[in-house]
Amino acid sequence: MPDARPLSPAAATQFGVSRRWSAVLLAILVAAGITLAPLLLDTYMINILIRAFFVAIAAITVDIVWGYCGTLTFGQSAFFGIGVYALAIIFTEYGFGSWQILLALATAVIAAAAVATVTGWLSFYPGSTPLYASIVSLVVPIVLVQVLYSGGTFTGSSSGLVGFETFDLEFENWFRLAGLCLAAVAVVALIATRSDSGRVLKALRDNDERCTYLGINTSRYRIVVLVVTAIVAALAGFGYAAFGGVAAPENASFTFGTRLIIMVALGGRGTIIGAIVGALSIEVASAYLSGSLPYVWELIIGIALIAVILAFPDGLVGIVKRLMRGVQKKQRGPTTRLRPVAKAAANAEENAVAIEVRGLGKHFGSLSVLDGVQFAARRAELLSLVGPNGAGKTTLIRCLSDGRERSTGFVAIAGHSIDRLPPDRVVQFGLGRKFQAASVFETLTVAECLRVARTHRARPSLITTSTVLELPAAAISVVERSGLADRLGEEARNLSHGLKQALELAMVLSLEPEVLLLDEPTAGLTRAERQAFADILTALASRDRLCILLVEHDLDFVREISSRIIVLHQGKIALDGSVHDIVNSALVREIYTGQQAAASEAVS
Amino acid sequence: MLTVTLDAVTTAALLFIISSGLLIVFGVMKIINFAHAAFVTVGAYAALVGSQLGLPWVLVVPLAFATGALCGALTEATIVRRLYQRPLDAILATWGLGTVIGQLITLIFGREVQFVQAPITGTVDLFGIDYSAYRIVLIAAAVIVAVVFTMLLNGTRLGLSTRAVIMNEMLAQGLGVDSSRVRLITFAIGSGLAALSGALITPLSSVDPNMGVPWLVSAFMLVMVSGGSLLTLAVSCILLGGLQVIVSTFVNPILGGLTIAICAAIVLRIRPEGFARA
Repeated sequence: MPDARPLSPAAATQFGVSRRWSAVLLAILVAAGITLAPLLLDTYMINILIRAFFVAIAAITVDIVWGYCGTLTFGQSAFFGIGVYALAIIFTEYGFGSWQILLALATAVIAAAAVATVTGWLSFYPGSTPLYASIVSLVVPIVLVQVLYSGGTFTGSSSGLVGFETFDLEFENWFRLAGLCLAAVAVVALIATRSDSGRVLKALRDNDERCTYLGINTSRYRIVVLVVTAIVAALAGFGYAAFGGVAAPENASFTFGTRLIIMVALGGRGTIIGAIVGALSIEVASAYLSGSLPYVWELIIGIALIAVILAFPDGLVGIVKRLMRGVQKKQRGPTTRLRPVAKAAANAEENAVAIEVRGLGKHFGSLSVLDGVQFAARRAELLSLVGPNGAGKTTLIRCLSDGRERSTGFVAIAGHSIDRLPPDRVVQFGLGRKFQAASVFETLTVAECLRVARTHRARPSLITTSTVLELPAAAISVVERSGLADRLGEEARNLSHGLKQALELAMVLSLEPEVLLLDEPTAGLTRAERQAFADILTALASRDRLCILLVEHDLDFVREISSRIIVLHQGKIALDGSVHDIVNSALVREIYTGQQAAASEAVS
Repeated sequence: MLTVTLDAVTTAALLFIISSGLLIVFGVMKIINFAHAAFVTVGAYAALVGSQLGLPWVLVVPLAFATGALCGALTEATIVRRLYQRPLDAILATWGLGTVIGQLITLIFGREVQFVQAPITGTVDLFGIDYSAYRIVLIAAAVIVAVVFTMLLNGTRLGLSTRAVIMNEMLAQGLGVDSSRVRLITFAIGSGLAALSGALITPLSSVDPNMGVPWLVSAFMLVMVSGGSLLTLAVSCILLGGLQVIVSTFVNPILGGLTIAICAAIVLRIRPEGFARA
């Protein structure tokens, strides 16, 4: 029973409970601290900290977009600025009152969400690069500031808006309000990033392509994250302007946007606490220093940024963590137990055609890499694709799994035409693709990698971290046979090459595919690992009735496991037949050994 | 109308000179040098110092190039080289460096706006209108940059190595190309070109510590939309630069300043390969 993996359920619950209690206790302490702190601080400090709290909320949003999802964004300041100006413009135009507050809030949220949606649409699409997304994020605040400049008295142009009536609260209460808002955002962010959904964000950062081939629409995920963080940043800006009673173009500028990045980089990206530490320390320090030595202060910030990136990429929090780890070994959350998922009702036809290819061609200008490729493969077939280097094998795999790759022809996976669909849609028809070089999520644990692979079958929770991992039987068997079962809590980057290959296969099998595409799965494996792989593949074909298409160079391996072989030569199918026919054919000997004429003539 | 056309061509020429340095760095290293704007400023101040010392303009321009190239080489050797594996961190570090350079210039030269006398003043009579002679010189400068660049890439051993690194760095290394040397030289040349363009701008605009920044975003977007070749970069500069001039003249200058960024983003969204041939 795979059920009975480490740690008894009772112990696991107890562990969870004590963690939860300590978290609640910490939250109460922080809340009490925020409530009492104004009694101890002087007015100047309180004033600085109130602003810093709102800025820290914006820094948290930068941390989520950059530290967790891997998009370096200069643009969160634009959303902050939208919040600032929504309040300032509406209070200036319509005065201060309850419906005006609601209107300003609604405007901030809607405008930020709309701008973020457009920005996301421009930044994230299949084929866009992180670098490009980063540059678009730089354009957004620049455009916004220009719009503000040209807005005349409505936006106050370069001098901004000032003198509107706003909330009348005591300094101390502003401090408590802002502090509690920051604490609340931090708690929500911590819960969300540590939840099962939060793992998906890290997976996006680690390996976008693998996510796509796990059926995850990565662009949509990124756009949703951007919209949510934009709304939060706009609300932070709203609070900032409500307290300060001023709106200035600097609040939306890319200079402020880069300042937010610097805060996160110094504090420690990818940790919510780091963003807060960075934001508060830079805000406080600059309040004291920027007045007395303005240029030198900017200079120090610049040098500090370079130094941190070069020497301490994980920032202050990273340094502290490293020091702490010397004392106590880091614990990676509760242990995960595996459980087989209930098998979906047996699919219609056991021997249905799983891959259908007609007249497939791929051309680069006048060069054609694939031409007139045509074949069909049924379920339970183990089809090997062989051919010399440059024959077009990997290109064929790519054309089967990504609808936008081929130049001409028709491809259907499990009866669905793949049309011009991106890989994440093709995967949902029942395709699983394993890459040539093991493609996993390096900073996620084995269990987390597998859970991300289940994303499109089992919607991950936004709040909790599940201790049970439901996997299809085929994936569990790979996990158990390869020895991964004992290393579920270990980060994937620490695994050996062979184990990474096994992990990727298990991830692909977690999709419950009907068609499995494998690109040289045995390259670089030891003899024993290779044999284990052969056993797994034949079992998948015969027992689970998968249609497997395998690119392989090792003819002995191919001969041992295949039920059929296709020889690809110069972009065309040269032979298609049983193992016996192919292995003994003159053409294969010619291609592989180069002894052409003599041998083939002798045979004929 | 003719003036607008000439404005468009000369603006395209200036944009081309500024973004060509960015392009070569992007081609070889696959990163965008965010300190490019700072190097533009460095070049402008080099030109300022040179002309205050009374150097002739033919010496001022090479001086600017050399200053920029030196800064670039130092940057590559001390910062960028360590971040090859982390491209996003590399652009962030170059951003930090840009801030540092900007503040150093402010500390040394002050933040006030200064002016450099144009080497060629007055106007020429072109197709029946009077047009700034210096702006015509810019077209020649852009052509020279393009020609020298093409000759370097296609006619020298270094150019061959560079093209090899651009196409397939691993393979190039395997064939004995010293790719870190190629990167060093490329970064130096790219930064030198930034400084050169800074020197060429000075007679047209004032010199101040943040003068490079407004050019930066346009240059970024032009490089992205060009898809990486010098020829398509020239095409992008003429098309989008021309559009910028038209919008600035007939609609409003603020919108004009945003034209390149917005149009390029939309072009890239619809056609991810930009103006490059598929």
